[in-house]
Amino acid sequence: MAGLNGDPFLGIDDNIEKLQYNNNSKEVIDKEGLVVGIGEDSSNNKNNNQGGEKDMAGNSIHRSGSRPQLDLSKAEIQGNSEERDPTILLPNQTDDISHLALDIGGSLIKLVYFSRHEDQSVDDKRKKTVKERLGISNGNRRNFPILGGRLHFVKFETSKLNECLDFISSKQLHRGRIDSHHWNSEAPANENAVIKATGGGAYKFADLFKERLGVSIDKEDEMDCLVAGANFLLKAIRHEAFTHMEGHKEFVQIDHNDLFPYLLVNIGSGVSIIKVDGDGKFQRVSGTNVGGGTYWGLGRLLTKCNSFDELLELSQRGDNRTIDMLVGDIYGGMDYSKIGLSASTIASSFGKAISDKKELQDYRPEDISLSLLRMISYNIGQISYLNALRFGLKRIFFGGFFIRGHAYTMDTISFAVHFWSKGEAQAMFLRHEGFLGAVGAFMSYQKHGLDDLMVHHLVERFPMGAPYTGGKIHGPPLGDLNEKISWMEKFVLKGTEITAPVPMAPPGTTGLGGFEVPSSRGATLRSDASALNVGVLHLVPTLEVFPLLADPKMYEPNTIDLSDHKELEYWFTVLSEHLPDLVDKAVASEGGTDDAKRRGDAFARAFSAHLARLMEEPAAYGKLGLANLLELREECLREFQFLDAYRSIKQRENEASLAVLPDLLLELDHMDEETRLLTLIEGVLAANIFDWGSRACVDLYHKGTIIEIYRMSRNKMQRPWRVDDFDLFKERMLGSEGKKPRPHKRALLFVDNSGADIVLGMLPLARELLRCGTEVVLVANSLPALNDVTAMELPDIVAEAAKHCDILRRAAEAGGLLVDAMNNNTLDGSRGNSSSVPLMVVENGCGSPCIDLRQVSSELAAAAKHADLVILEGMGRALHTNFNARFKCEALKI
Amino acid sequence: MDHLAHVSNQPNSQPQSQISHLALDIGGSLIKLVYFCRYDDSCRDDDELRSQNESLGSKSDNSRPVLGGKLHFAKFETSKINDCLEFIHSMKLHLGGFHDCTAPSSDKIFIKATGGGAYKFADLFKEKLSVSLDKEDEMECLVTGANFLLKAVHQEAFTYLDGQKEFAQIDPNDLYPYLLVNIGSGVSMIKVDGDGKFERVSGTSLGGGTFWGLGRLLTKCKNFDELLELSHQGNNRVIDMLVGDIYGGTDYAKIGLSATTIASSFGKAISDNKELVDYKPEDISRSLLRMISNNIGQISYLNALRFGLKRIFFAGFFIRGHAYTMDTISVAVNFWSKGEAEAMFLRHEGFLGALGAFMSYEKQCLDGLTVNKIPQRFPISVSSAGNKIYCSMNGKSNGNESIECTVYGT
Repeated sequence: MAGLNGDPFLGIDDNIEKLQYNNNSKEVIDKEGLVVGIGEDSSNNKNNNQGGEKDMAGNSIHRSGSRPQLDLSKAEIQGNSEERDPTILLPNQTDDISHLALDIGGSLIKLVYFSRHEDQSVDDKRKKTVKERLGISNGNRRNFPILGGRLHFVKFETSKLNECLDFISSKQLHRGRIDSHHWNSEAPANENAVIKATGGGAYKFADLFKERLGVSIDKEDEMDCLVAGANFLLKAIRHEAFTHMEGHKEFVQIDHNDLFPYLLVNIGSGVSIIKVDGDGKFQRVSGTNVGGGTYWGLGRLLTKCNSFDELLELSQRGDNRTIDMLVGDIYGGMDYSKIGLSASTIASSFGKAISDKKELQDYRPEDISLSLLRMISYNIGQISYLNALRFGLKRIFFGGFFIRGHAYTMDTISFAVHFWSKGEAQAMFLRHEGFLGAVGAFMSYQKHGLDDLMVHHLVERFPMGAPYTGGKIHGPPLGDLNEKISWMEKFVLKGTEITAPVPMAPPGTTGLGGFEVPSSRGATLRSDASALNVGVLHLVPTLEVFPLLADPKMYEPNTIDLSDHKELEYWFTVLSEHLPDLVDKAVASEGGTDDAKRRGDAFARAFSAHLARLMEEPAAYGKLGLANLLELREECLREFQFLDAYRSIKQRENEASLAVLPDLLLELDHMDEETRLLTLIEGVLAANIFDWGSRACVDLYHKGTIIEIYRMSRNKMQRPWRVDDFDLFKERMLGSEGKKPRPHKRALLFVDNSGADIVLGMLPLARELLRCGTEVVLVANSLPALNDVTAMELPDIVAEAAKHCDILRRAAEAGGLLVDAMNNNTLDGSRGNSSSVPLMVVENGCGSPCIDLRQVSSELAAAAKHADLVILEGMGRALHTNFNARFKCEALKI
Repeated sequence: MDHLAHVSNQPNSQPQSQISHLALDIGGSLIKLVYFCRYDDSCRDDDELRSQNESLGSKSDNSRPVLGGKLHFAKFETSKINDCLEFIHSMKLHLGGFHDCTAPSSDKIFIKATGGGAYKFADLFKEKLSVSLDKEDEMECLVTGANFLLKAVHQEAFTYLDGQKEFAQIDPNDLYPYLLVNIGSGVSMIKVDGDGKFERVSGTSLGGGTFWGLGRLLTKCKNFDELLELSHQGNNRVIDMLVGDIYGGTDYAKIGLSATTIASSFGKAISDNKELVDYKPEDISRSLLRMISNNIGQISYLNALRFGLKRIFFAGFFIRGHAYTMDTISVAVNFWSKGEAEAMFLRHEGFLGALGAFMSYEKQCLDGLTVNKIPQRFPISVSSAGNKIYCSMNGKSNGNESIECTVYGT
């Protein structure tokens, strides 16, 4: 991470001067002071590992049901069959797998479709060695019964069914089928293609699908789907459910083991009220015909609005008192307090409209819309509560497309539930509210293994222009990046502010002018955006929970809570100010071509739009932490194909640092043990706060000056630090009177920046650990993020460093990092491997400056098994996130 | 106004002495009046009456004067309160209040009144009629009125299902507990456990005011009864989204929904092809009526279920003895309770509150009000036509008959 000036991630700040050493077996005495206690708690550790294994065994039995998803016919082993864990070719498994499931309701069609990840698992040499060393093999592990890929969520108005059919056709969604035995997707076998669908329209439009797309609709029961969808979302997505009271949105962590029973209220055109007791165990206990269709139907007749969203938008400016009869109207402004009715309680919805003096046109559409909304929302809340009461249910989840994340609707429903239950029952809402049925239909494909997905397998991303339609903008989705950029440029030309995520449509497809440009600032866009606060769900079956977390359930990666508005504003300012610089770097990294400039502009706009959206509604994309925000930026860069904006800068930094490494190592080797250890830690701190990323410091990257600056900074790192547990660490490392040093078995070093940070900070520390006989695993990002070093880059850096250091060389050889050397070794046996503990590199599974330890790569999870020391380095991983994290083993946060 | 002359004929023959006691229920949309007229047939034997009353267990007392007579019922739209004031004035009904016993002069006359309007229009009554409104609690009046009617009036409650009206025999000793649903502009749901023992357990803002308010905006009907009348000829399928519309004409049998079940009220109105003017007012009225009736029936049942109540009495001016309304409510209760709970209606549905207010005189200056055991003769006297005169609503006169009764005066 970069940033002495301009970039916020690294200002010099006494916050950085910390060295936190903790062990879950002892209590923290003082947050700011020492963490006392060092002690092996390996028994605890071991138990946990066993538990984990047991768990896994249990899982695999459970999983066996979903295994047959792979078409194993004609399977053959590729290449040399003597090789351990050979790749198995599945010629009959189509590689372009996509699934589509539909929920065709009375007013909206919801689509959920799946696209497979491009196969990124290039099995490079490093990975293979790591796998061997860590005992990971494709054979005995989970074997990923779930396909990696993405779940997309799209909606259409049912009255515009043709647009939906065009969409499916243009994406060829109806062709992908997991159980096809035909390799060739052009084969006439498509006539047998089947799409899972639910909702009434699945019956009504079956013939049309057959005719237009040549596919059969396989009808799934609506209630089954709703429940399956809700159960899946509540279990699999961390921030799915939230409460909404008086404008305040709060995410609720649902314990999977304590989910049932609950009441599910699905508000579509009508309302279904379902009591859910478990997976597939439910009963539709009630419902009401006063639902979303009533709101929109009556609303259309009364206001001449052209769309549901327009009607909803109107309600925000309405005053229902002009049209509803309130208790105060009947009682001459007084409350009827005896029965607990305040003067502002609605006695009779539309009750004032009985007046002879006013006709329909005399009422404001805004007021009518609000009266209608309150009437219907309140009624649904009341009937839902009465049903919850009947069955003693405390939790009521409201889903369905009526809600659309609309604050007032949710508040009204919450109020009704709260009022009638006297605070005993709670109304909760779902982020994927409209997609329960469609997700459920998707789940009904037996073979995707989705049921086995765990929270940590899912990553939700919010790309610019997730391809959905609705509201006023229609048309087929954008085909490629180029169209996306042009589309955004159109908006900019028209002077319309883009509020992300926006529906995408190519110009010129919907008659005059292409698309209707909203008259006011993003009004149409925003109401549409608020309707869909869901991103694309990435299914990454290789992700796992970091096994060394002391309490995964309580773990919260973010140290900084962005629900604090001041904090939020600060970070938004910081990110906005840094944006031009980042765009410059990104464009330069792609050679500064016109194309790169165009993409850079688009990126800047897209990211600003995301920021604007989040500023307006911080919880729009789920609970917002700093880590999410920083990752969003990286994802956004990748979306516009800036794969590594800091590539050249990182390279330069690495070269400069490597050049001075020998001097440093020499200096270190002349120190006594204790001084050396302190100097090493100081060095890590010093190297990390270097702002090598900022322009002002680039000049310093000249041979000769870098080491001086490094030493100067190091000298500034005088103890005591803000959080200073050095003595504890020293005692463990070097021993003290009467106590022998007890070297760790394996240390996981979470590294941060390229350049001085890795080369002059972390590598020397790693070297020291290796010297003590501790195995060292360098944990680095899978994908680039700012100037962070990646797992792909590390082997080269280590190889270069190893040229000057025997300790590093032998360890790297043992860890299989020195490819050439290892090849030589294999020829004449494994000589030398035993002479050193290994130095290894694993990827952490993420591409962000921060790390969420609930979602790490399986590689890292495996490496963690035998680790008894965790070292987290840098602002992103040790301060902004994980500062409060507790581990099962000893941990050092630098 | 030709009816005015018609009705004035009779009571006016002996106005001063005949009328005593008026009570009002001034709601959000309607004002309900209950007043008592003595028999003009003065030769009637009071003893005969008393012997009848004794069998009812009334607190008859030989030493007290007994007033035989009829209770009359009338209603006005609240917006036309001046018509109501004029009616009271012309009938000299306001003189039938009670005089404050502490003040010997008769300038302080009190009339019992309930409903929100008793507060809101108190000054107006003072100004126009020089009477003070003695405010009685609304819920208390409703319950008192209902209890009186259910216990004392023969064939007051009835069920209505599939067009069949059937009077229910209510054993006065086995009346409680029951759920009383009063559908006025809004809806109050009251659990009644005995005389004066009750609790308002729920309510909904989707009531008569919603039907009439939305109906006016959507149909240009001039009055509530016209709107109700329209619904007779309507077909809600034109505008409601039925289960069959969603499922391509088939039932969703698995969860017990037939193709004709309404999935979404007004759900078909979302179609782009039709505007408000393209829908028949009859169909709109029908959809609206079904939506509101069904909703009230459902919420009532859920509340009855909560407290284990088997009997639900529906009252209030929304119903107006309207067959389709009662049918819809009954079907809703029957559907959701799977036949376990029963919706019942009251002939004097609209006058519970007014009657309750009337009963409250008892505390101060009436000793008892009993109903003659003689079965009511209806349609009765001309005075029952009161509603036809001043109210522009031409509802069935069901429930507005006068009741023959006896008042034990002060």
